[in-house]
Amino acid sequence: MIHVHNLHKTYRGALEPSLSGLSFRFPKGSIAGLLGPNGAGKTTTISILCGLVKADTGHAEVFGLRQDLAHRESIKRLIGIVPQQIALFPQLTAMENLEYFGHLYGLKGRPLRAKIDAYLQRFGLEKNSNKEIYKFSGGMKRRTNIIAALLHDPQLLVLDEPTAGVDVQSRSMILQFLREYNQQGVSILYTSHLLEEAQSLCSEVAVIDQGRLVLQGQPHALIQQHPECRNLEDVFLHYTGHALRD
Amino acid sequence: MLRLLATIRKEWLLLKRDRAGLALLFLMPVVLITVMALIEDAPFRDYQELKFDVLTVDNDHGRLARYIKEGLESSGQFTLVDSVDGQPLTTEKARQLVNEGDYRICIVIPRGATAAIVSNANRIVNDLSKRMGLPAVQPVKQRDDSLNVVIYFDPAAKKAFKSAIHNALDNFLTQVQTNLLLERIQLQLRRKNAGAADTDTLDIQLKAIGLQEQATGPVKQIDVIYNSVQHNVPAWSIFAMFFIVIPIAGNMIRERGDGSLLRIQLIPGSYLEVLAGKMLFYVGICVVQFYLMILVGIYLMPQLGLPRLTLGHSYLAAFIIALGIALAATAYGILIGTVFKTPNQALNFGAISVVILSAVGGIWVPLEVMPPGMQFLGRLTPMNWGLEAINDIYLRHAGTGHIWGNAGKLLALCVVMLWIAARIEKRRIS
Repeated sequence: MIHVHNLHKTYRGALEPSLSGLSFRFPKGSIAGLLGPNGAGKTTTISILCGLVKADTGHAEVFGLRQDLAHRESIKRLIGIVPQQIALFPQLTAMENLEYFGHLYGLKGRPLRAKIDAYLQRFGLEKNSNKEIYKFSGGMKRRTNIIAALLHDPQLLVLDEPTAGVDVQSRSMILQFLREYNQQGVSILYTSHLLEEAQSLCSEVAVIDQGRLVLQGQPHALIQQHPECRNLEDVFLHYTGHALRD
Repeated sequence: MLRLLATIRKEWLLLKRDRAGLALLFLMPVVLITVMALIEDAPFRDYQELKFDVLTVDNDHGRLARYIKEGLESSGQFTLVDSVDGQPLTTEKARQLVNEGDYRICIVIPRGATAAIVSNANRIVNDLSKRMGLPAVQPVKQRDDSLNVVIYFDPAAKKAFKSAIHNALDNFLTQVQTNLLLERIQLQLRRKNAGAADTDTLDIQLKAIGLQEQATGPVKQIDVIYNSVQHNVPAWSIFAMFFIVIPIAGNMIRERGDGSLLRIQLIPGSYLEVLAGKMLFYVGICVVQFYLMILVGIYLMPQLGLPRLTLGHSYLAAFIIALGIALAATAYGILIGTVFKTPNQALNFGAISVVILSAVGGIWVPLEVMPPGMQFLGRLTPMNWGLEAINDIYLRHAGTGHIWGNAGKLLALCVVMLWIAARIEKRRIS
């Protein structure tokens, strides 16, 4: 599904590289967790996968398509992105936002409306569909943010910290949805700082730090390989250390 | 096309929800042009059009005084005031009133002024008669002191105003003296030809050539005057159109900040189509602003006692220029929205730069009254290109064939600014 090979990226004016030879591979149909401390290179990796940022060297592939100018648009069609930010227009209602992004994907009319209605219902937002986004709670915004990435039926859903700042109920609904969505055959790539969540959700994780892969495998297998660690968070700290990354 | 239309709809929904923004875009410009046209009405009127109260102190009571008074009154510019509070004016009182700013001009006609002019005319006629072998019979004063009609101006009066009054009075004095001289010559000639049959038909026509103003354009009558409305409505309309940079730049920075731009960029398809939708929407807003203000010039201004805006004859040319200004203004907004990172930076820079460009470009005062260096700079601004083109259409009755130069410059500026914005955005992403 996803293959990144020897990615290097240093942003203009930056003292340190964001990625220093990062390589990993996730299989199709998995819920893959891309984990790492702040500044590890997770967002840069996702940006390269989506074609927003160009790697200095190395390459990334999505479903066998190499991320380059020739395949950029094809890959965009395959991927649904849920950015870390609430990437919606606050002054527009949930319905207006979703209609707009649907139109940008080339969807229109009744099929689009039916899809939006179904997702709003699935995420418990049907009663608030005509409310402006700025009036939404954090959890409602997060859920709408996810719906906007689903309208075009992506084969790969990329979520950058989708549960940051939401209450337990919203988080539970989101995670439940992701499991169900994955069971429909959609691959999921997910980043989070909530390692307990990653441990329960992901079928495979890659831990990166300072732009390099430090660990990859199935969460339970990784925990078993490290008897001194009780959970994925312990494993994570074991490899990335306790030093602050501000 | 769907992406473009969806973006136009989205921008409309965003604007519709922003009541203050809507008011700023449409109501404020209307208030602005109305206030500016009212304020600048008087300075824009020719002094020939204005009527002034003129204090006159007549110490002569002769023909000169009468002639000056009749001349001033017949010009229609002046209302003569020779008494205040029922008391005849004295020179001292008149000077005090002008100095205090109660009146703008005072004319003092000195005692013996008519006698001095008559004496001078007689002296010339006597001299001519002598040379022609005739007797010098006209009475001449032995001692001829130099006399002046004195003018007092309000200390705050402008140079151009003083000059206009000087010229008008100088003209009257010359006319009086010339007429008197001609009368004396006629009198002398009648004496010489006493008894001849054609004595009564003797008439000297001094004015052989007159002045006549004609229109330069295709319209025969001189119907358009460069007045406050004719300057302010197009000028401040352009100013208001350029203020579109603030909502555009704010909108772009907010979209970048809240991540919606990121989402748009992640969706397959050209971002240019989305940008075109945004641009088309704001260009449409600018054009609507322009025509709204033109309607104000046509219908509201006359209700306020101001002249009616005259539109010229080529509505297509005006539309092309309105479109050109709108494109340049929108592209400038996109450029500012791309360059700056926070709405505050964009708002401050956008507003101040539009004010400066407008001042330099002749929006506030016509370019012609500026120093040559500023005129040169002014001609480099899009505001000036737009204003010149509109003046060409409205005042000089130019058609589409005459506005392509300025329209082309506006369009070229739009393309250059969009290209710079695209380069900056690309650099930012990389």
